This record gives sequence, structure tokens and C-alpha cells, in this order.
Amino acid sequence: MAEDFDNVNIEDLEAKDTARKIPLGWLILFWGLILWGIYYLAMYSPVISGWTQEKAYEESVTK
Amino acid sequence: MAGELYRKPIMFAIVATVVILVGTIVTMFYPMFTEGMHPKLDNLKPYTALQLAGKDIYMREGCNNCHTQTVRPLKTEVMRYGEYSKAGEFAYDRPFLWGSKRTGPDLARIGGKYPDAWHYQHFENPQAFFAQSNMPKYGWLKDRKLDPAVSESHMKVNGFPYTAEDIGGLAAKSELDALVAYMQVIGTAVAKKVAPAAAAAAEERNPLEGDERAHERGEVVYKQYCDACHGDDGKGGIGPSLTDTTWLNKEGDIGDGRIYEIIANGTPNGMPPYANQLDKDKIWSLVSYIRHEQHKNK
Amino acid sequence: MHDYQYDHQTVKGFIVSSIFWGVVGIVVGLWISIQMWKPELNIPPYFTFGRMRVVHTNGLAIGLGIGAIFGISYYIVMRLARRPLLFPKLARFHLYLFNAAVALAALSLFAGMNQTLEYAELEWPLDIGVVILWVMFAVNVFGTIIKRKEEQMYISLWYIIATVIAVAILYIVNNLAVPAGMTKSYPVFAGVNSANVQWWYGHNAVGFIFTTPILAMFYYFLPKSTGLPIYSHRLSIVAFWSLVFAYLWTGAHHLVYTPLPDWIQTLAIVFTLFLIAPSWGSVVNGYYTVGSDWSKMQTNYLTKFFIMGITFYGLQTVQGPTQAIRVVSQLIHYTDWVPGHVHMGTMGWVTMTTAASIYHIIPKIYNTEIYSIKVANTHFWLVLIGQLMFSITMWITGIQQGALWKATNADGSLKYTFMEGLAKNYPFWQLRTVAGVIFTVGMLFFIYNIYMTIRKGRALAASQA
Ligand code: HEM
Ligand code: HEM
Repeated sequence: MAEDFDNVNIEDLEAKDTARKIPLGWLILFWGLILWGIYYLAMYSPVISGWTQEKAYEESVTK
Repeated sequence: MAGELYRKPIMFAIVATVVILVGTIVTMFYPMFTEGMHPKLDNLKPYTALQLAGKDIYMREGCNNCHTQTVRPLKTEVMRYGEYSKAGEFAYDRPFLWGSKRTGPDLARIGGKYPDAWHYQHFENPQAFFAQSNMPKYGWLKDRKLDPAVSESHMKVNGFPYTAEDIGGLAAKSELDALVAYMQVIGTAVAKKVAPAAAAAAEERNPLEGDERAHERGEVVYKQYCDACHGDDGKGGIGPSLTDTTWLNKEGDIGDGRIYEIIANGTPNGMPPYANQLDKDKIWSLVSYIRHEQHKNK
Repeated sequence: MHDYQYDHQTVKGFIVSSIFWGVVGIVVGLWISIQMWKPELNIPPYFTFGRMRVVHTNGLAIGLGIGAIFGISYYIVMRLARRPLLFPKLARFHLYLFNAAVALAALSLFAGMNQTLEYAELEWPLDIGVVILWVMFAVNVFGTIIKRKEEQMYISLWYIIATVIAVAILYIVNNLAVPAGMTKSYPVFAGVNSANVQWWYGHNAVGFIFTTPILAMFYYFLPKSTGLPIYSHRLSIVAFWSLVFAYLWTGAHHLVYTPLPDWIQTLAIVFTLFLIAPSWGSVVNGYYTVGSDWSKMQTNYLTKFFIMGITFYGLQTVQGPTQAIRVVSQLIHYTDWVPGHVHMGTMGWVTMTTAASIYHIIPKIYNTEIYSIKVANTHFWLVLIGQLMFSITMWITGIQQGALWKATNADGSLKYTFMEGLAKNYPFWQLRTVAGVIFTVGMLFFIYNIYMTIRKGRALAASQA
């Protein structure tokens, strides 16, 4: 019977490498999340900002 | 150039492995060699043979699917369960048992909260304590004996110290005994804190005195929180009778303020503190109720 | 008989086995969902919630999930390599061993042999079995790819290769333990460290079992069944590498506000948020692919399965990162919100995409058409409704629970006891069981459809012989 591995054409499954640009919205998301990550890392890393969850707790109970 | 990679499966696999290993090394492998990952509190003790057997049963029955064992450093959570969990409490847990779902309450501070008898009866029939509880009954564990030989091998693998008597003594114990022993040791390496809010009440008189309805309101609260231990109408059960004049094993009546304080802060003998669950008015209404029942008894 | 037809029998064997284990897992799921509001359904020792919940998760993750992944990956690998499997006999043996292992796994979990590491509950003898199964899979996948007849490796193969490597590393490290008898062991890691290793494993088990192999299916079967090429190859490349890079950093988002050192938590949260980008790379690619011809949604019954699947993947990968942020975690961690999240992923994305792939494969193997598109559509709508109802009820009750736990009176004392909070879950838990029944009925339509297609295919083959 004719069922075979023939009919897969990889070029058909994926558009040509350079044919399509990456959508701008996605690039903004990508770089935006990296920037946000740097900010968050700075805010919540004990060695950078001094924030620790223990200190945050102490503050929440004394207030 | 880069296109080549997608034609060379072995090269591709190597690159993928390296990419996968970066985060693995930074967040999982490297920390293993830092002190922060292996802390141990000074007064943390290895499990005894009985406690370890209980912990094994906890794991076998999958209690961790409904109960967590870590209190987060959040205000209301500390109020509900007790002091937040410290890294140094878990050095003997292989593996950790923090869990990830609280279908039931957190157990990180369950040790010493209730007397043993409470646990036995609660395992037997959780619904007798909390009518709406969905916890399965575990009374059947009391018909299953421990196997000392198995326990000994488990102690050895963990490297916990034990004596021949410890192991020999297990033969007479049931799985339920072991589970209760385990319950009572969880979280005890960290000292309990007395809730400061309640301490001040000791000298006070009951502000609800003269309020005719106060004891009725108190009765409602009593049925919900207290009667599982102190029995119907305060007649006693797991906990002592509240209608006689013996308090904390001493003959002689005590003041309203003192009763308030016991309810609010609990006692070292297994009466849990209620200051964070019941507001002042509810606690005083309980005092009214207890006095009311005392009078009926005279 | 051609070699590849023999291999197709193995593929079909995996598919049928995974469906079988799926039914077992779902029935157990229904049972435990009832136990949560009707504790009388706990029948000790074997049928209590604590033991059955792990049968449910393992049965579906290993039995349904990995079973389907084995079978469908073999199919994809053969197609994209344009040749039969390199070791067909090994693959057949792999199938038998897989079923034996899952059966033993289920029995051992009912018997309470449980390491209590989430998604790594199996005790050490079975762990060895799982590793052997995985090596067999790896040998065939790599062997077939290396000896392929098509030069270029298509995206799906990248994801399959990453899956094979990552799962091997994850599974072996997290299960390192010292045996204490045949049915018990103690991990080599203790305390905080064991928590960190476990969730490095746990989150990536989700990442490399419920995500990458399913994406491999998505990238292969979406273009195959619609005839539309994937929108952007470049986006696929960036999304792939950033996904497999970032995933491994994120495990500690399961340990927010635990005693785990703050820096590991923070780093995990940062990478978790970043994961939105690579995940949405695939979502965008999927949408734009079908976007070139939306009429496929109507003319091709499988398109909506894939588009709905990738939509839930997209929602899942926004919701997951949001859960990791500290303020959100405070509220929803430990509540029923999380099972709501989980089942949107497992029912909406994994099961949806896998079922659609199976709809594509089974008729291809038998050289026929699907038995009934109508039945497939009924299946689609029922599982969709069941899943949405499941997730939405759990999200509501999860937020409510989180809020009740935090609520305080004017004088600062807690407003609700734990029990008062629990009691408010009951109506939602009951609705969840109803949702589960609807989902299950949907799955029965699916099974019926596959069964009838196989029957039709057999009859056809017999008439031609
Ligand atoms: C009829 C369908 C289903 C029902 C009724 C059901 C029910 C449940 C219940 C009651 C739980 C426990 C939740 C808790 O502890 O609060 C659960 C957990 C889980 N289920 Fe399902 N389930 C179903 C389908 C599925 C499917 C198809 C999968 C996977 C392919 C799955 C994977 C899981 C996982 C991974 C968990 C663990 C979640 C966690 O740890 O947070 N379930 N399920
Ligand atoms: C970028 C993607 C994702 C991220 C960042 C993510 C994040 C998270 C987070 C933070 C939790 C813990 C919630 C808590 O307990 O507070 C969680 C739980 C979970 N997620 Fe996701 N999620 C993602 C996608 C998925 C997908 C696609 C699935 C597939 C089915 C999934 C399945 C699960 C499961 C099974 C759990 C429960 C684990 C447990 O506690 O047993 N997630 N996820």
C-alpha cells in the first residue's frame, strides 16, 4: 500500500527562514520582560536592595 | 552558520544540554554548596525511632497532599498557625514535607498544640471535632503493629541515634501511636511565642457581667471550639471539667481575668491558644458561659 | 509487511495504552473529587484521598501523558526522518515494558509506597524502571534521527530532543536516594535543599512533559492537518532556545515565602515572568499560521482543537507567571486556585492537543478517514465546557479561600477559622465533580470515535487483503 513517509515536505511546514520578521509586539514583550526582570531582581535581592522576607514580615507586624 | 545546527543532531543535543545546565547549575547545583541550604537549629533533635515510624506513615498515607508544613512569614498566617518556619528546622527531613496544598490546615506548629488524647480521638473521627471536616478517618492505624526490624533499618539509613530499648519498645506500639508521636514533635525546635495582645487581660473583670444573654452567646462559641475536648456543658473529656473549682490541677477558684488568659494564650499542657481566632467579646462570652455552667452545678 | 507498518503498530499500541491509563486516571480523579466533599468515600487502607491523589497525578502524567508522548513522538520522528524507527523490536519491547511499569506504579501507589516528592512519588525500584524506559526511548529517537533521510531537522524534533535530555537529567537527580528495603528509600537531599531540588524537578517535569513534547505535536500536526506552513521560522528558533534556557531557573516559584534563601526565590520569579515571552512565541506562531486562512477553523475540524489548545497554553503561561509574583502568591498559594491552573493546562492544553494529534494519526495509520466528525465536535465541546467549569469554579473558591485566611476583625484578630473557610469550598467542589463528569463524557466520545475508526480501518484492510 502506498502509505509512506513521502508527503512531508519540511519546507512546507516552516516558512522560509528569512521570509517573515518576528512580530514587533512579541519583541517588545521579550525585551520588556528582560528589563522588568532586572528591575525586580534589584528590588528583591538581599545583596542588592537589602530586602528580605523576614524584614518585610517584621515591618508588617510593627506597623 | 546557525542553520547548520539544525542539520547536526549530536551537536544540537550537546548545545541543548549546555543550555539546560546553566539554570540548573546556578539555581540548584551551586546552592548545595552554600551554607544557606544546610542550616540546623541548635535544639533540633534527630527523630526517635517512634517518631520516624510516624513520619514514614505520614508519607505512606500521603498526608502531605492535604497538609502543608511551612508557615509563611505573613502576618495573618503567623497569627493563625504560630511562628513562621525557619530554614534550620528541617535538617532531618529526607525529604522535606512542606507540601503545596492546604485542603486541611498547616501542621508546622502542631507539635504540643493539643494533648495526645486529642490526636487519638481526632484520628479516630475527625468529624466529631469539626462536623464539616473532610479528613478521612485513620482509626484503623491502631490495629497495625510496628515492625521493630524495619524501624531499625530506617533509623540506620537516616543515621539517627537509637538504643536497643528504643527499638524493642516499638513492638508494643501501633502505627497510630507512632503517628501521634510524630505529630507532637513537628515544629517543636522553635519556641512558642505568647500572643502579646491577650496578656493584659489578666487582672480585668468580665465586662459582660450583667449581660443576661452573654452566656448564651458563649454557649454557641463553646459548641464550636471547646466541647470536643471539654465535653458537653463543660463536664470534661480530653480536657478537664470546667464546672468544678479545680483549675490547672489546683483546687480553688480563679478570677475571670485568669480564665480569659488561659483561653487566649493556651497552656503548656495542651490547651491551644485562641487569641487569634476569637475576638475579645467572644472570649469573654465564653467566660460568662463557664460561670453559668459552674452555677448550675452548685 | 513493511517495517514502518510494524512501527505504526507500536505507535498505535502506545496510543491505545495511553487512552486506557487515561481512563483509569480520570476515574480516580472523579473519585477523589467526590472524596473532597464526601469523606465517607475514603476506604482505608488503599482508597483514601492521600493515596489516590498520587494515583491520579501519576496515572495521568505517566500513563496518559508519557504514553502518548512515546507513541506520538515515534510517529513524528519517523515522519520527519523519513524512515522507520532504527530499532523497531526495541520500540515494541518498550511498549510492553511501559505498560508493565505503569501497572506496577499504580499498584505501588495504592499500597502507599510513596517518596512524597511531587510527580516523583514512585519508589526506587520503579525509578530504575522509568530510567530504563527513558533510555530505550532515547536510543530509538536519537538513532532514528541520526540515520535520517531528510537533512534538515524540523522544529518538532528540536523539542523532542530537548525533552529526552531534560527529563533524563531531572528524573535521575531528583530521585537520588538511599534504599531502606525494597519499598522504601530516603532521598540523599534533606530539608531546604531537598525542597529546592524537588521543585527544580517539579516545575521542569511540567515544562518537559506537559509543554515541550506537546509543542512538538503542535508544530507538527497543526501544519499537517491544515496544510498551512508555520508562520515564522525565526520566531520558532528564538522561542525554542529561550524556553529551554529559562525553564530551568524557575523551580523556586513553588517555594515563595518558604525558608528557601530569598535570592533563589527572586531569581526564579524573574525567569518565570520572562517565560511568558518564549511561550507566547509559540502562541503567536500558531495564531499567525492559522491567521493566514481563518476559514480552516470551520472547514477543518482539527484546527479548532489546536487553536483552543494553544489558547489555553497561552492563558496558562500568563497565569503561571502571575502566580509566581510575591503578592499574588500570598493570596493563591496553597488554595484551590492552583488545581484550577493545573487543569486548564492538563485538560485544556495537553489533553486537547494530544487528542487532536491522535485524531490525525489513527486514520493515517489505517489509510482511512475519521469515523465521525460530528462525534469529534461533540467531544470538543464537552471537554471544553468541562474544563472551563472545572477551572473557573476552582479559581473562584481559591481566591475566596485565600481572602478568608487573611481576613481580620477590627481588633486585629482573625475573622474566620480554618473550618469556616473550608466549609465555603463545598459547593464549588461539588460543581467541580459535575465539571469532571462532563469532561469524562467528552472523553468517552473521543474513545468511541477512535475505536470506530480503528474498526473501520481494520475492515478496510481485510477487504483489500
Ligand atoms: C475528570 C477529570 C478530572 C478530575 C475530576 C480531576 C480531579 C482532580 C482533583 C480532585 C485533584 C486534587 C485537587 C486538590 O488536591 O485540591 C486533582 C489534581 C491533579 N490532577 Fe486532576 N482531575 C481530572 C483530570 C485530570 C487530567 C486529564 C490530568 C492530566 C492530564 C490531571 C492532572 C492533575 C494533576 C497534575 C493534579 C495535581 C495538581 C496539584 O498538585 O496542584 N487531572 N485532579
Ligand atoms: C510559563 C508557563 C508556566 C508557569 C510560569 C507556571 C507557573 C506555575 C506556578 C508559579 C505554580 C505554583 C502555584 C502555587 O502553588 O502557588 C504552578 C503550579 C502548577 N502548574 Fe504551572 N505554570 C506554567 C505553565 C503550566 C503548564 C503549561 C502546565 C501544564 C499542564 C502547568 C501545570 C502546573 C501544575 C501541575 C502545577 C501544580 C504543581 C503542584 O503544586 O503540584 N503549568 N505553575
